Amino acid sequence: MFKLDLKKVAIAFGLSIFAVSSLSAKEEVIKLKPLPLDKRAVDAAVKYKVENGEYAGVYKVNPQMDKANPKYGRKATPNEIKAWDIDVRYDWQGLPEGQGTAEEGSDLYDSQCAMCHGDMGTGGLGYPMLVGGSKESLKNQLLKPGDEPPIRTIGSYWPYASTLFWYVKTGMPFPHPMSLTTDQVYSLVAYLLQQNEIQIEGKDIEDDMVLDKKTLMKVVMPNVDGFYPDVNGPDGPQVMKKFLSNPANYGTPTERCMKNCPTGKVVHIKEPLDDGIRPPISQVRDLPKVKETKGGGDPKIVKLYEDKCKACHGNKAIAPVPGDKEAWASRIKQGKEVLYEHALKGFQGMPPKGGHMDLDDETIKKIVDYMVEQSK
Amino acid sequence: MNGGKHILSKEIKDKEVASRRGFLKNIAASAVAAGTVAPMAAFAEDDPAIINEPEWGTKLGEPVDKNLYGMPSPYEHNVIRRVHELLSSGDMYASVAMCPVQDLEGIITPNGLFFNRCHGGVAIVDPNKYRLMIHGLVEKPLVLTLEQLKKYPRESRIHFIECPANGSTEWRAPQFNTLQFLKGMMSQAEWTGTKLSHILKDVGIKPEAKWVLAEGSDNSHMGRTIPLEKILDDAMVVWAQNGEALRPEQGYPVRLLVPGWEGNLNVKWLSRLEIGDKPWHAKEETSKYTMLTPSGKAIRFFWPMEVNSVITRPCPDKDWKGYKKGDVIEIEGLAWSGHGKVKGVDISFDGGKTWVEASFKGLVLPKAWTRFSYMYKWDGKPLLLSSRAYDEVGNVQPTIDQEVKKMGVEAIYHRNAIVTWEVKANGEVNNVQIRS
Repeated sequence: MFKLDLKKVAIAFGLSIFAVSSLSAKEEVIKLKPLPLDKRAVDAAVKYKVENGEYAGVYKVNPQMDKANPKYGRKATPNEIKAWDIDVRYDWQGLPEGQGTAEEGSDLYDSQCAMCHGDMGTGGLGYPMLVGGSKESLKNQLLKPGDEPPIRTIGSYWPYASTLFWYVKTGMPFPHPMSLTTDQVYSLVAYLLQQNEIQIEGKDIEDDMVLDKKTLMKVVMPNVDGFYPDVNGPDGPQVMKKFLSNPANYGTPTERCMKNCPTGKVVHIKEPLDDGIRPPISQVRDLPKVKETKGGGDPKIVKLYEDKCKACHGNKAIAPVPGDKEAWASRIKQGKEVLYEHALKGFQGMPPKGGHMDLDDETIKKIVDYMVEQSK
Repeated sequence: MNGGKHILSKEIKDKEVASRRGFLKNIAASAVAAGTVAPMAAFAEDDPAIINEPEWGTKLGEPVDKNLYGMPSPYEHNVIRRVHELLSSGDMYASVAMCPVQDLEGIITPNGLFFNRCHGGVAIVDPNKYRLMIHGLVEKPLVLTLEQLKKYPRESRIHFIECPANGSTEWRAPQFNTLQFLKGMMSQAEWTGTKLSHILKDVGIKPEAKWVLAEGSDNSHMGRTIPLEKILDDAMVVWAQNGEALRPEQGYPVRLLVPGWEGNLNVKWLSRLEIGDKPWHAKEETSKYTMLTPSGKAIRFFWPMEVNSVITRPCPDKDWKGYKKGDVIEIEGLAWSGHGKVKGVDISFDGGKTWVEASFKGLVLPKAWTRFSYMYKWDGKPLLLSSRAYDEVGNVQPTIDQEVKKMGVEAIYHRNAIVTWEVKANGEVNNVQIRS
């Protein structure tokens, strides 16, 4: 007993000494030796070799493999390459011939883009805002509620207009990409550049100005110099290797503090996001509850809903989602004929037939029926 | 007899018995009635899970032809990927399903739990119509079918894939009290395919070539620029994960594997590789996947996933409520680096003031998850538990203060700061941040 008490006293004493002395105690750090540049790969990582039949000292390799020269497949034809090679590089390599105007782009935008990106690219429907912000705003840091955030849009952030063309051409409209003609892409690009007040050779983009390959290639985006490192030169990969080899460039230390290290206050979660997790987190090991399912409906119609409608009608920020009784109640009240008409002819953000003109009227009505049935 | 309350078998539930003899009689009677073997006499200290024959031991199991593709036990139905509408544009197509990292064992993620990030839904590609085209600055542009691709010599490698947005909700403050949403945009598999260097030998790369555009064939036509040097170093085209064909969520039938690099560079549903002399500046290397810094300028082409670690046991999901003062508890976690092998992991119990070295266990592979472990005798007092990894190139996982000082809070991507769990005296574990 006596011994134990002594120990307790010693511990208490030691702790108090520690607490006081820690104010002036020196940090104890272990400095790491950085890997020399010549041993690093393009990303500043270790460049592993095959030695003694092992790769990186852990994987056995068959030495015959690298000596072999297998040849399979066949030569691609020029037409095949043309069909797939539709990217547009920052130096405009790959930009196809074509033309369009902001005026035509505006109509296209309203019918095919506004339901997700908001009127005139203003966002607000969950999908990216396309217009607005400023290069100046990029210096903003949203540290606490009320601070102005940086606004990253095509006009304020994107370094190259080529990316806009390529993105619209191969990725938009989101539910059915690759459905726009090259001229339609030119028109949408003209409209989006116009809305972002991008000038071409010092001149505004007027509604009826024809944007073609030659004029588009003159566009210089306001934030073209807003990115680093500069990788476009012939030594781009080497520039990256040097950049990434200096961890100070990205806030990474090279020493391990072991004792008396700088620390700080404990910050707890103030606004937990856990409530939105689907399904809720659970560590329970039990048998799953049998789910109550609504009559599934015609599988063909369900598939059509999923393929053609769900991109918008699966996102409550844009359109009522099947099963959301609250959102559907007032709509169902209007009667099916009204809903059919809205679906067929368009209503507010909803384009005629949701933009799927390939579907006949009866099919659209069946999809409406399905969505209503799920939401009663 | 001894006054203890009996734990009764199913057949005689609710029957009170006055004596051991009476109890046995009752059991015998009900057993005869039910036509089963009588269970043993049981007392409060006996575990009914042992005393009573479990129902699965008294009947046939499921026939072997029931699940010809095996499924997890139905009792594991809560070990699943999970979603959150705030983590996407509000839809479930350009979105992410998070991996339940808290429930993983070892270093391999089962295929059904592998995190799923895609930019336009999961494409279901017909393998018979699959083609890979390699063209650009080459002597011989090449087309391969899946069958032809699989004729190249195979290799298997274990690598993590991590989305650079992993943990991006935590730049300003802690927000998720679950490991699944704090670090669930990553998983690890054993990938099988062929090294791109094998295929590229045949196409004759022109001397001015420096970059490769990798493009997927899905809705988003994801394109990313990769330096040729990396493609020839350790990049692979892979068609299998953990011994079976890639899952659609991972790019079936073929994805690119760029070990250690940002997840989105590992292009899924890979259809095209174009060799060029300049980088492309695709949408996912300009408008997204660039890191805005407080200067107003953004870093682009930040390829490798930096050194990182997290303690997985305990974590908010796997707390210490089942432990008590004096228990010797294993603290376990994952460490990884896209720059190479993890060289070591330190653990702190006091919010980062003092650190001790943890041990590795299992395989230590390059550009791969590595398990670390520390045996700790808990004195039942609250802790601030953190892990800090360092890697072969000499990089150390930063504190939040160190990272934010350089990067600000608007970078979105590449957040690898030290994670701290608050362990309370009652065993509850919470995600907290240590800030000066």
